[in-house]
Amino acid sequence: MKANSTYVRPMGAWWRRNAFYRSYMVREASALFVTLYAVVLLVGLLRLAQGPAAYDAWRASLATPVSIAFHVVVLLLVAYHAWTWIAVMPKTMPFVRIGGRRISDRTIVAFGAAASIVAQLACLALLAWLGWTR
Amino acid sequence: MIETDVVVVGGGGAGLRAAIAACEQDPSVRVALVSKVVPMRSHTVAAEGGAAAVVRDDDSLDNHFDDTVSGGDWLCDQDVVEYFVSHCTEEMIRLEQWGCPWSRKADGNVNVRFFGGMKVQRTWFAADRSGFHILHTLFQTSLRYPRIARYDEFFCADLIVEDGRARGVLALVIATGEPVLIVGGSVVLCTGGAGRVYRQNTNAGTVTGDGMGLAYRHGVPLRDMEFVQWHPTTLPGSGILITEGCRGEGAILVNRDGYRYLQDYGLGPVDPWPRVKAMELGPRDRLSQAFWHEREKGRTIETAQGAAVLLDVRHLGKAKILERLPLITEVARTFAGVDAVTAPIPVCPSVHYTMGGIQTDVHCETPVAGLFAAGECSSVGLHGANRLGSNSLAELVVFGAVAGRNAALRARELPRSGIASAERRAEATAAPLLGMLNREKGERLAPLREAMQNAMEEGVGIYRRASTLDVACTKLAELAERYRRGIALDDRSRAFNTEWLTAIELGYMLDVAQAMAHSARARTESRGAHVRLDGFEARDDARFLKHSLARHRGDSSPLIEFAPVTITRSPPRTRTYGGAGVKAEMT
Amino acid sequence: MDASRTIRIECLRYDPETDAAPRYQAYDVPFTDDMSVLQGLQYIKDHVDGSLTFRWSCRMAVCGSCGMMVNGTPSLSCETFLRDFHPAGLRVEPLTHFPIVRDLVIDQSDFLRKLEMVKPYIIPADSKTPAAGTHLQTPRQMDEYYQYAQCINCLLCYAACPQYGLTPSFIGPGALALLHRYNADSRDDGRAQRMEVVNAEEGVWSCTLVGYCSEVCPKGVDPARAVNQNKINSTKDYFLHWLMPRPGVSR
Repeated sequence: MKANSTYVRPMGAWWRRNAFYRSYMVREASALFVTLYAVVLLVGLLRLAQGPAAYDAWRASLATPVSIAFHVVVLLLVAYHAWTWIAVMPKTMPFVRIGGRRISDRTIVAFGAAASIVAQLACLALLAWLGWTR
Repeated sequence: MIETDVVVVGGGGAGLRAAIAACEQDPSVRVALVSKVVPMRSHTVAAEGGAAAVVRDDDSLDNHFDDTVSGGDWLCDQDVVEYFVSHCTEEMIRLEQWGCPWSRKADGNVNVRFFGGMKVQRTWFAADRSGFHILHTLFQTSLRYPRIARYDEFFCADLIVEDGRARGVLALVIATGEPVLIVGGSVVLCTGGAGRVYRQNTNAGTVTGDGMGLAYRHGVPLRDMEFVQWHPTTLPGSGILITEGCRGEGAILVNRDGYRYLQDYGLGPVDPWPRVKAMELGPRDRLSQAFWHEREKGRTIETAQGAAVLLDVRHLGKAKILERLPLITEVARTFAGVDAVTAPIPVCPSVHYTMGGIQTDVHCETPVAGLFAAGECSSVGLHGANRLGSNSLAELVVFGAVAGRNAALRARELPRSGIASAERRAEATAAPLLGMLNREKGERLAPLREAMQNAMEEGVGIYRRASTLDVACTKLAELAERYRRGIALDDRSRAFNTEWLTAIELGYMLDVAQAMAHSARARTESRGAHVRLDGFEARDDARFLKHSLARHRGDSSPLIEFAPVTITRSPPRTRTYGGAGVKAEMT
Repeated sequence: MDASRTIRIECLRYDPETDAAPRYQAYDVPFTDDMSVLQGLQYIKDHVDGSLTFRWSCRMAVCGSCGMMVNGTPSLSCETFLRDFHPAGLRVEPLTHFPIVRDLVIDQSDFLRKLEMVKPYIIPADSKTPAAGTHLQTPRQMDEYYQYAQCINCLLCYAACPQYGLTPSFIGPGALALLHRYNADSRDDGRAQRMEVVNAEEGVWSCTLVGYCSEVCPKGVDPARAVNQNKINSTKDYFLHWLMPRPGVSR
């Protein structure tokens, strides 16, 4: 039997088509900033291995206005990136039930966010106790 | 050309069940499942309420038999009803084992609910999406059978009948317009009803009586065509279905004065409530007729889309509504802007089901050897003059299986004669159909179709009179003549030309509509869903305890004859609902 | 029709017999507040241009036939309403990521193939006849799979999924949701047989959790959850298989 030719539309710049796709791309792009910060930390580790002078020079470079501006942007995007992982948590899990009733996705996300905040506060408290301002 | 053994036309509940049954009957049999839509689009998908099968200890096959026969106003072939009621439960269990998500009681057993005209709860239901779940279960299960070859979006344009035997079909590949011959040893028509001949209906666009028209043109009588069911609770305007399951859960119907008007029409008294087979749990024909009277008396409410009464489920409570009636809650909100939890739903009757159809015996075989029919397109003798809700979904699987098994047997036992004459005949049939694409002058399709639908609404409606029926018959004859002179299509392409297919469907619909109108005119009594206001308001068993048979006579009007009804153990009685009755325990 | 308002509907047109590429055609349609996009298209087909071609059937969002892009959003035309696009008008196109057969009609065959691949039927531990009666299944057991069983196969999720558009071999959200529906059904014992599809590159691993599929699903199936939940199952299966190779179970 004959078949007519069907028309296949090109994908093109699909990520621009709607707000959902655009925010998906921002979510994915935020991973780059996590990578960038990881590189910064790795450089710091390397400088630490190279001795006090190198390490102090590295610390000083972090305190420049450009660096601080960079770190603010990175902090926001890494926090956003962490938030997006919490937001998709329900999609990765089977249904959770307590007392026979299903826990809603919103509750799972709220729990994840709360747990994340508690963990971060605990880390900060630990660092404070270790005297990081020293 | 495609060679196979059993050709099943129609991929809804009956067609899929028939295909599976043919494969289980004979694992060497090949089945061609030919459908004008991909099977999960078939209209079975829209059925909501459930499927009947005896399962409770306080129920019996005799009860189901009696409810069905009295529901059908004694026009049912009782040997068929006996077979039916004794096979429903097995089929429902089979569906469950195939994965159908029947709604359950807390202990894990299947739950059953009340339905109109039923003495005991026996309607198996999957929330209020029963047809959807049954269809998807059957379709997905059919994928296990490699000998079922599917021909999706193939439109059946003719039957191939050679030497008085059904040999196959001529189909049009919808995507390309190409005609293709599919030949085998037997054909099963599972093409659904013909509700779209009316303007106001619950049906999908596909429900155009194709198989009925095809069989009719090949000399098979259409039986009991005057019996058309109006479903009493549908949305005004669109006709979208609001399931009888609402009433099975305890919903009530009130008119503009907040009055439960059904008590005025032999279905009362109101209290004690609820009672089986009383008030809102009465049969569909009586409820639709009651609406007609209320409208005549000016006691219906006026909506933007016409007259309506109010279906109230609020007293069931939000939890039960969302658990048992989620689809109609969604439908009422989306299409009527009404929140069923807080407000009553405006409803009116719309055409819903064709009790009549292609004449078959209890084995689902038509008078043409090797041609079978099952489901709404058939008249196997089950529903008589009025169908009970939830008997139709059960019919699909019970008689779909019968048709499939018998078609598989027939395909093997009847000799296969030469194909050459079938090919020549197919070419001769295809030529004028393809010619429709090139027609320069003719009528426009939509106005002709609308004229037919209006003629049916006005002349062959809930209540009939000789004068209105005569007008309808004359009008339909005129429309059929105009159709024969030719439709001019806007769409000349052969690639997925749905205007062309709609034009071919209109031909089937005009034939079916004429059979309905002439059969209605010939039956000068009132019975079940066929009620008259012209001196024939009573049931007349002496003259009309008979099936009507409409026979095609080419361009002239159909010949209407009558045939006896098979009565076994239930002699005709007065059909009563309401009364003191039995309390209905809602489950 | 007693309608004092009209709305402009711009439709993608494509006839493989005459067109090398799709084009657009606009129609002015008189409408009332309760009219759906589908009814608008039917008006055009009946009274203006009989060649406009689109699929439809039930008109009540249960058959899945009428999926199309309305102003770039995958929608069921029968439950999308013209009043929401007045006065700016609307553009109607066939579902993205599918080849166009004619006008608003797409080629569904890839989905049907994928559906068959996931074995969407009960594979029981031992075969039963109806004489054995129904399985017991509590409402709680049904709740595990029920929402995934609401899929009407409308393909809006495939139109929403950019991974399906970029990698057409991806099994896709709808088929994977149905795979999960059967795995999660207490009456089924076919999980092992479906694992190969789950584990494949074209199985769950093509999904990057864009999540738009669940957003557009008209029936609340949440295919994103069905797919991503199975990434954990697939991972477990991978490690278990590595630790304890099972003869006869294909990877």
